[in-house]
Amino acid sequence: MPKIKIYTTPFCVYCKEVKEFLSKNNLDYLEIDVSQDEKALNYIVSKTGQIAVPVIEINNEIIVGFDKNKILRALNLV
Amino acid sequence: MYDLIIVGGGPAGISAGIYASRKKIKTLLITDTFGGQSIVSDKIENWIGEKEISGYDLAKKLENHLKSQEGIEILENDLVIEIKKIDNGFEVKTKEGKTFKTKYLLIATGSRHRRLNVPGEKEFEGRGVFYCATCDAPLLKNKIACVIGGGNSGLESALDLVPYASLIYILEYTDKLKGDDITQEKIKSYDKIHIITSAEVIEIFGQNFVSGLKYKDRITNEVKELKTDGVFVAIGMEPNSYLVKDLVKLNNRGEIIVDPKTQQTSLFGIWSAGDVTDFPYKQNNIAVGNAISAVLNIYENLKNKSI
Repeated sequence: MPKIKIYTTPFCVYCKEVKEFLSKNNLDYLEIDVSQDEKALNYIVSKTGQIAVPVIEINNEIIVGFDKNKILRALNLV
Repeated sequence: MYDLIIVGGGPAGISAGIYASRKKIKTLLITDTFGGQSIVSDKIENWIGEKEISGYDLAKKLENHLKSQEGIEILENDLVIEIKKIDNGFEVKTKEGKTFKTKYLLIATGSRHRRLNVPGEKEFEGRGVFYCATCDAPLLKNKIACVIGGGNSGLESALDLVPYASLIYILEYTDKLKGDDITQEKIKSYDKIHIITSAEVIEIFGQNFVSGLKYKDRITNEVKELKTDGVFVAIGMEPNSYLVKDLVKLNNRGEIIVDPKTQQTSLFGIWSAGDVTDFPYKQNNIAVGNAISAVLNIYENLKNKSI
């Protein structure tokens, strides 16, 4: 399985939705709380051109926001 | 043809759905997402029956309760974009191109954060313009933040930013803050929060991200600039009443005027409940109660007027 990284903040609703969605589909992920990790925060801002979470990184693909279809496509599951 | 289409998936829409299904009303509920505005609250302490619950957990509970009902049809991840009056009812069109007909409608579309409507606001949304400090404050770590609005939600936004931002400005349009005294006192205890009153924001600017804003000092008429990395807009809410603005009467705030006993609007066949209405208290518990009144009244009308 490809590695899934998700960049989150503690109170972001869509971050919770992403985590719930991945867990439901038995997909392991690594969570990075950007409120505690400024380097990671700068990384997603420069990568996405946006100041927003969640950011999901699958292989080299970056997805901003909770987009089920994009996540499944990036994982080759659809 | 449905007997009832419920538009909205917040506390009002969900409660209406549960009651409608228990009354065996042929119902379709259409919503893009479930939960409503309070889904982003980290802590809700006034939801009756729960001493403390997160907005997210409450939203999931409500959604699960609705989905456990038999007989109700739900269309999720779609959005009503048009409502038209037709003979004997209404036609509803969605973003995904679906069309439905219904005898009655319940509008439970809630409200959204009011926009400043200044240049740069739309362009920089998600790139330095934010509407939810609870959600996005952590993204402003060691940065300069401006909160627009000196009411309770503005003051709370500023407090949400305290653990993260290095410097926080609160810009208030009138000559003094409006939030509760207890919150104002808290605000004043932080050296890094600066209050600017009589300030009218006129522009948000930047390159790829927000780098500053311009405001007019309403006393001297002088235009001033502030360097900032993030602008949190907290100037109140506005009702999502645009779908029916040409069908029913709205008040001067754009809220749907309803009869408080029945939740009927000015046009027979359309009911409304929750924050989109002119009911003065915007509360989850109240939205629930009013939506239930609406469905019970809809039920009576269906029974009395069924062919």
